[in-house]
Amino acid sequence: MHIPDGFLNIATVATTYAVSAGGVGFGLRQAREKLAEKHVPLMGIMAAFIFAAQMLNFPIVGGTSGHLIGAALAAILLGPWAAVLIMACVLIAQCLIFQDGGLLALGANVFNMGLIASFAGYYLYRLTTRLMRDDRRGKLFGSFIAAWGSVFLASIACAIELWVSGISPIKMALPAMAGWHALIGIGEGLITVGVLRLVLATRRDLVELQRI
Amino acid sequence: MRHSFLDRYSDLGSFIHKLDPRTKVITTFAFILVVVLTPPLRWQAFALYFALIASVVLLSKLPPLYVLKRSLVIVPFVLFITIFIPFLKPGEVAGSYNIWMWHISHSGLLILWNVVIKAWLSMLSLILLSATTKFAELLKGLEQLRLPKVMVMLLSFMYRYIFVLVDEVIRMKQARDSRSFGGKRTWQLKTIGNMVGTLFLRSYERGERVYGAMVARGFEGQTRTLSSPHFRMADLYFAVAFLSCLALVGFTIIL
Repeated sequence: MHIPDGFLNIATVATTYAVSAGGVGFGLRQAREKLAEKHVPLMGIMAAFIFAAQMLNFPIVGGTSGHLIGAALAAILLGPWAAVLIMACVLIAQCLIFQDGGLLALGANVFNMGLIASFAGYYLYRLTTRLMRDDRRGKLFGSFIAAWGSVFLASIACAIELWVSGISPIKMALPAMAGWHALIGIGEGLITVGVLRLVLATRRDLVELQRI
Repeated sequence: MRHSFLDRYSDLGSFIHKLDPRTKVITTFAFILVVVLTPPLRWQAFALYFALIASVVLLSKLPPLYVLKRSLVIVPFVLFITIFIPFLKPGEVAGSYNIWMWHISHSGLLILWNVVIKAWLSMLSLILLSATTKFAELLKGLEQLRLPKVMVMLLSFMYRYIFVLVDEVIRMKQARDSRSFGGKRTWQLKTIGNMVGTLFLRSYERGERVYGAMVARGFEGQTRTLSSPHFRMADLYFAVAFLSCLALVGFTIIL
């Protein structure tokens, strides 16, 4: 879902840059107010963790494979603003080291996989754990919904940006992107459930960290 | 340690490598911006942009084949998008083709060309930036360009531990593969879930240890560095030459 340069028009680039910069700036302020200095190294390492976790590919259909985005996972464990900062770091590094995603498209990528995915993941998790009970089952089910929804919504945002830029008609881009990522989302969801199950079994305290 | 794919040629000593990271970030950004703004029909402009970026690649002593190979990472995304592009305005008759059962319109092809050439040229310049600049220096440059300090710190911590954690992932993958990573898809996903979970726990605990070690050495929320990159005359010459080439191509061809 990393959009390269050349796909988005200038209006989309400018808008998404402005929104993402605002979001990251606000996230930084939240972090400064609510978190101790301890969290800076920790969040840096969590960003490296998401980066490394994205290297694990899983099979989808046929010979294709997808990989974790991790925004929902980060949002569930550390809170949405922390997840936005972590994803922004991951995306900046991917852009500048691997050219995975463009420099002008960075704003859009942070918007989709940072802001949209983190907040969608966080609130879907909150909603499900509130609707069901906030016990082990509720948490696991909530994390699946959160992870699936975060991928799905991020892909819809991506399709809309491509459509606004005049690259592909919405009638084709939206079902293709959303349909494909609905499949990838299942993988993301199951992996996130697996992570949460392991963490709940071994270090339950980490699921009740302070979130921002 | 098997991650030579990170920062592979960033310690060569060419003229371009020695430039201030700020110069490189700004010229790269300007280049991509101009490329993206160029109307697709001005193919001469794209040829000149390519000549410009190619001459900088030669100047940087990067192996051209490496740059070309790296630039192919855009292919999957381009393929995914281009499936639809030729079908984009099927109503237009002028200059449209019928290949087998597909009706490919002229404007669809134009959009395809527009995307591919711009994505590729931008990719080349990004590869040039990242292959000629060490990430730590790039971060210093970004900090001087007013990227928030906390963000820079997060990025530098992240970069420091990417190597450790990527090693961890490679070891885990090896362990998994040597125990036969087969079975049903749900089983595979469960295995990956456990791997990511373990990775999370190890990273988190490592983070706590790192913070403890830093506090023991007097960390108080700030990092200090001794050297910062300097903007030299060479930077000025390069920036002026590069940007004026860009502006020249932009103005003479677009207008």
